[in-house]
Amino acid sequence: MDDILVQGFLMGGVIALVALGFILVFKSSGVLNLAHGEMIAILAYFLYQLLAIWDLPAWLGILVAVPTGALLGVLIERLAVRPLLGQPFLSVLMMTLMVSFLLRGVRYLAWGPDSYILPFTPRGQWEIGPVNVIPATAISFAAAMLIFVVLLLLFRYTKVGLSMRVVSADHEVAQSLGIRVKQVFSISWAMGGALAAVCGVLMGMVYTVTPVLGGMVLGAGLPVLLLGGLTSIPGAVVAGLIIGVSTALGDYYRPGGLNLGEIIAWIVMLVILLIRPYGLFGEKRIERI
Amino acid sequence: MLPSGVFNRRPQQDMAIVRTSAQWLLLAAALVFLFTLSLYASEVWVNWLIMVGIYAVAALGMHIMTGLCGQFSMGQSAFMALGAYTAAIMGSRYGLSPWISLPVSGLVAGLGGLVFGIPALRIKGFYLVLTTIAAQFVIMWSIRQFDYTGKTYGLTVPAITIGGSALKDAQFWWLTLAIVVVMIFFTKNIQRTTTGRKFVAVRDNDLAAEVMGINLFRTKLLAFFIGCFFAGISGWLWAHYLARITPDLFTFDLSLWFLAMVIIGGMGSTSGAVMGAAAIMAVDKAVPYLSNVVEKAFPSLGFQIPFALGLILFAVVVMFFLLIEPKGLYYRLEKIKLYYRLNPFAY
Repeated sequence: MDDILVQGFLMGGVIALVALGFILVFKSSGVLNLAHGEMIAILAYFLYQLLAIWDLPAWLGILVAVPTGALLGVLIERLAVRPLLGQPFLSVLMMTLMVSFLLRGVRYLAWGPDSYILPFTPRGQWEIGPVNVIPATAISFAAAMLIFVVLLLLFRYTKVGLSMRVVSADHEVAQSLGIRVKQVFSISWAMGGALAAVCGVLMGMVYTVTPVLGGMVLGAGLPVLLLGGLTSIPGAVVAGLIIGVSTALGDYYRPGGLNLGEIIAWIVMLVILLIRPYGLFGEKRIERI
Repeated sequence: MLPSGVFNRRPQQDMAIVRTSAQWLLLAAALVFLFTLSLYASEVWVNWLIMVGIYAVAALGMHIMTGLCGQFSMGQSAFMALGAYTAAIMGSRYGLSPWISLPVSGLVAGLGGLVFGIPALRIKGFYLVLTTIAAQFVIMWSIRQFDYTGKTYGLTVPAITIGGSALKDAQFWWLTLAIVVVMIFFTKNIQRTTTGRKFVAVRDNDLAAEVMGINLFRTKLLAFFIGCFFAGISGWLWAHYLARITPDLFTFDLSLWFLAMVIIGGMGSTSGAVMGAAAIMAVDKAVPYLSNVVEKAFPSLGFQIPFALGLILFAVVVMFFLLIEPKGLYYRLEKIKLYYRLNPFAY
């Protein structure tokens, strides 16, 4: 039982990292990047290609994959999303979905419908104190927490982070302060892409590199994103942990033989949205006519 | 737009769905053409037409929800599944006639829409989109769980019989066509009534609409109900056409297809939704031919080509419309029609 809870807790941290990829892009440019799941998947496959077929050492492979992710993010922003600046949000949403279809198609063409295991995936179980944990999840959780701290510091103390926060508050104000808004968009997409590559490494370890990885990650990340409230980084962490633990409990108990773990994230999200329409930590937007 | 000097003199003319006698004649001719099409078209194309009709009904529901009332939904195929499973359960478990299950399918899907539409009062935009995605996953998950709904194996649907013999494909096309025509009329009609005007007001600015005395809750829920009712009818048709339904048919991707149909056809136009359905299905039809070509060019890629190419082609077509023609097919067609109507003048 303790094992289950700890495992769920750790998974929650990893899923929160996926949600963070959405938040990074959404916070500055106001685009919900639904291609994030497929970006993670294609980068995981790319990493597999680097490691297993081109025989690079693991550290070099990851070092190549992360900038590639950033490049992919910038490319998507430049070619697909920026031309739609100022269009209704459904167009942009549909565009990111179509990017995700495109990536999935390319992925199937290049790597087919097979699953792979990343070569550096640790095996067995670790005993930490009284509980057993799966090493891939534990490493991923540690990496995720590290990235959260780095991002929090980045948003608080660096110029890039501060300019991203200004842009997210108001585009016009940012522009009049001399911040290049479009450049900030590109930077945030690049960061989102790099984060997708990191997620690709971690998710590839946790779930293995499977064709359904993209959809699975998207399905896990979106409820967390909404529960946390679309723009809040601490919100994503808290929501991720809540959903991770409740998913683990749903998987464990299976009331009435139902496989509740698959769906409990969405149900928790729906219930909380009914009570708090802007998520746990979301900003309440006041609209004027 | 009418040519300079031509005016509608009576309100009835402004409200008319079919305005001139020439249009009546053309409409009748088109209907006769479509009706007789199944007599001489090859079976492959009749099947294609039936699928266009089935998807067009669901796309029309999407049009009412999204195009008219501005409530985005990415769970249309799950509501279709509600209709289809209602038809299957009523037909195979209780032996009821399909003509009884037709309205019930629509109602069940509509009620499902109401349940997931309730959050729409308080949330909108991204939150609403993700709530409908949640609807998709929750509904399809529930169908997979219970023995009563056939788990992942699905259910068989008894065929529709008229005079003791089951409908053949050609006859099924007539049934589909009849339902599509009724649904198009319903949609066109709703656009010119108070309800439709309310929908458009809510779409354009829901706060302003509320200030003007429109009951937001009722209007949004009604839009959800009608949109999902259409999805249920479409599911009823699909279930009887396939004779066996499984949960794998009603995927999240299919929901996106319906959204793409509305976008390609042109947001907020009824004929656009039907055109969008035909366009998407034409793309779908082109995939096997194209993948044959690609397979000959790159034989090493193997069997994943048709699937991957379907995804890529669909994505490219929708992207083209989003970037180059964001108003959709309907508005391009209107422009062409207007040009010839006014020719040689500009107005």
